[in-house]
Amino acid sequence: MVKTLLKNVKVETGFVKEGNRVVSTKTELMDLVLNEGKVVEFGKNLDVTADVVIEGHEKLLMPSFREMHIHIDKTYFGGPWKACVPITKGIITRIEEEEVLLPAQLPTALARAEKMVEWLLYQGHTHIRSHCNVDQQIGTKHIELTIEAFKKFEGQLTYDIVAFPQHGLLRSNAEGLMREAMRKGATLVGGVDPATIDRDIEKSLNLSMDIAVEAGTGLDLHIHDGDTLGAFEFRKLAELTNQAKKQGQVTISHAIALGDLEGQELDDMIAVLSEAKIDVTSTVPINRPTIPITYLHDNGVPVSLGHDSLRDHWSPFGTGNTLEKLGILAERFRAMDEYSLNRLWKYASGGITPLNEAGEQVWPKVGDNADFILIDAVCSAQAIARQRQITHVIHRGKVVSETAKSKSGLIK
Amino acid sequence: MSKIKWLKNVKLEVGNVELNNGSIGTKTDIFHLKIKDGLIVDQVLASEKFASDDEQVDMGGKLALPTFKEMHNHLDKTYMTLDWKACIPVKNLAERLKYEAAELVELAPTTKQRATKMIQTIAGYGATHIRTHVNIDPYIGLKNLEGVREALESFGDQITYEIVAFPQHGLLTGEVPTLMREAMRNGATIVGGLDPAGIDKSIERSLDEVMSIATEFDADVDIHLHDGGLVGYYTVDKWLEMLEHVNYKGRTAMSHSFSLGDVSAQQQQEIAIKLAKQQVSIMSTVPINMGRTLPPIELLDKHGVPVHFGCDGFYDSWSPYGSGDMLEKATRYSELYRKIEEPALRNSLKFITGGITPLDNEGNKVWPNNSDPASFVFFDAASSAEVVARKPLDRIVMVKGELLKL
Repeated sequence: MVKTLLKNVKVETGFVKEGNRVVSTKTELMDLVLNEGKVVEFGKNLDVTADVVIEGHEKLLMPSFREMHIHIDKTYFGGPWKACVPITKGIITRIEEEEVLLPAQLPTALARAEKMVEWLLYQGHTHIRSHCNVDQQIGTKHIELTIEAFKKFEGQLTYDIVAFPQHGLLRSNAEGLMREAMRKGATLVGGVDPATIDRDIEKSLNLSMDIAVEAGTGLDLHIHDGDTLGAFEFRKLAELTNQAKKQGQVTISHAIALGDLEGQELDDMIAVLSEAKIDVTSTVPINRPTIPITYLHDNGVPVSLGHDSLRDHWSPFGTGNTLEKLGILAERFRAMDEYSLNRLWKYASGGITPLNEAGEQVWPKVGDNADFILIDAVCSAQAIARQRQITHVIHRGKVVSETAKSKSGLIK
Repeated sequence: MSKIKWLKNVKLEVGNVELNNGSIGTKTDIFHLKIKDGLIVDQVLASEKFASDDEQVDMGGKLALPTFKEMHNHLDKTYMTLDWKACIPVKNLAERLKYEAAELVELAPTTKQRATKMIQTIAGYGATHIRTHVNIDPYIGLKNLEGVREALESFGDQITYEIVAFPQHGLLTGEVPTLMREAMRNGATIVGGLDPAGIDKSIERSLDEVMSIATEFDADVDIHLHDGGLVGYYTVDKWLEMLEHVNYKGRTAMSHSFSLGDVSAQQQQEIAIKLAKQQVSIMSTVPINMGRTLPPIELLDKHGVPVHFGCDGFYDSWSPYGSGDMLEKATRYSELYRKIEEPALRNSLKFITGGITPLDNEGNKVWPNNSDPASFVFFDAASSAEVVARKPLDRIVMVKGELLKL
């Protein structure tokens, strides 16, 4: 048992108000004692002896990030520059491209996956949910290499692996491979556009759920299908989720249709999703309407963020910097005052924020996981608006990435 | 005596190359560049025999790109160097202006200090030309102009700049027309304006006043136009009509110009032709807030209307965000309009370089040329497309053959 003292960190403890308006965030210097990955003591000027002391240098303590939608198995990250090839047949262009590209990339796939995890860790993520291709060309090889990549970082982060039939569960006849992927260690059943790709909404969703029931896991489905089509699929999925008693275990990734619905239609959909406890991930896209992230959250549909890609054959963009992603979220929804900026962190941390909506300090508490980042900021609002530098990443009480030490060796 | 030096091992884009997946990539070669008095006078392939007794600087194969131009900023407004402060939420523009007015006097004594930090930030990212708007208003008169000018001047010839006298709180009220003229006599180089409908409540009189100050001082014009929809469109159209009667081709700009994206495709086309005829520049900050229409940048560009990006004021009473990195604007534009192939990514660079790209649309090398200033941003990158997509942070900025010193 290693007892760690995390000294001299700034913790948000309240709001400073002028009338009803929050004008700034109050912080206080605190010490934390960490043991077996948890916070065991929390207070000012703690007088304890510890095996390890981490000097916080008055940096701001914040919950670490969770990267909730990424593909570490098929990236150009860490390899030579390559732009994308033109799209001529919509998403099918990319699927056909993958049939040739992914087998060719296999020799470098593991090394690149590791580079990506290392980079995401450096950016403050201590949990990664990676989708992982399961298709006729690759079989379950990407599942194996993704597991291998994550194993190298055991103890530094936690992870989920989504078995992802990118070329269509039905379209590419991937049922057998998907069941195999789940047996090999994938932790969630994936899927993609039951209408556009699989051309049979009912059969596609039923089969996905069936695989999840057999594997005893949740699901995370990519649904890009828009407006009423997406909405129809969400309703079907919610129905199946309730029937299979998978409430709280189902995620819709992208959920583009939620950006198309308005008014009563949107509210009805939110009611359906929240009843089935379905959550949503978003990349906060700027090239199409972003789903109404704050409205969804405020009405009972949790939203988390992901980068999707750091550069691959789908997109040349992507930084893996979640602080930047939060900045884009702020800019997109015009969160520009202290309070609105303060409320954004939860989308990147699995819902955890130091202050609750009333401004009471609710984190960290004794018993919480010791998953932190330290950041050179006066408060989280400033950290997001001004893109302050993360200095330490701590997972279960251990420093797993430190800017000063790791910067030079990383690939950007 | 003229000073000669060699920049050795500089990567330059020289043409297109067909990749084995059938798409277009960028061919680069390594050159030694001969610099005389800050200008490029010779470009020699590094593969050729080389010997010289002149000073040599090894650039280690880094890619050279043209330095960036920040074409819409407000150096006087930033909170940089002050304690953290978020924005005050407001219901409308009038309320925002009220808060700004209250703050202006308080901020005025630190204008030089705040502007200096902003210039350092912008220039550090590679923009060595800055067009800044500066408030000319009833609350602080010309105070911000003085501070901004001093800040810009302190960078000597490392930074080139233009200062727009900007009537943020309305052009037609009280002594502002007089203050604007005073500003033009005291270092402002361009006449600004703001929302002839929304702020000045008199489209024609507002445009008239701007043009009358401009012609009086033989100065260029750059008007902020946020007015949306048809009223904004009419404002641009009316102004273009006025430009027919003064000889101002290529000397004017409309900043923001959201309304150009609000109108029908037919109207967009018509106005693009007129804007091109007068060579009116459109300045965009590429905003991404939901519901915001952008001017049709691609269409304007296709019609030969110069389009330039700017960061706008950042970290001030209007907005808490913004890095000052012009490259981020090119990246954002590319992402917004799905420029994901090599030639498309490469082309986005021109909106932050005053129109310069190393290769033209056919892939011919058109930059740098001999007698161009030896002003570069150097990157560890394969091509300008990679730079636009990846916005690498590691950069070396050179102005007329000398490393930028901030």
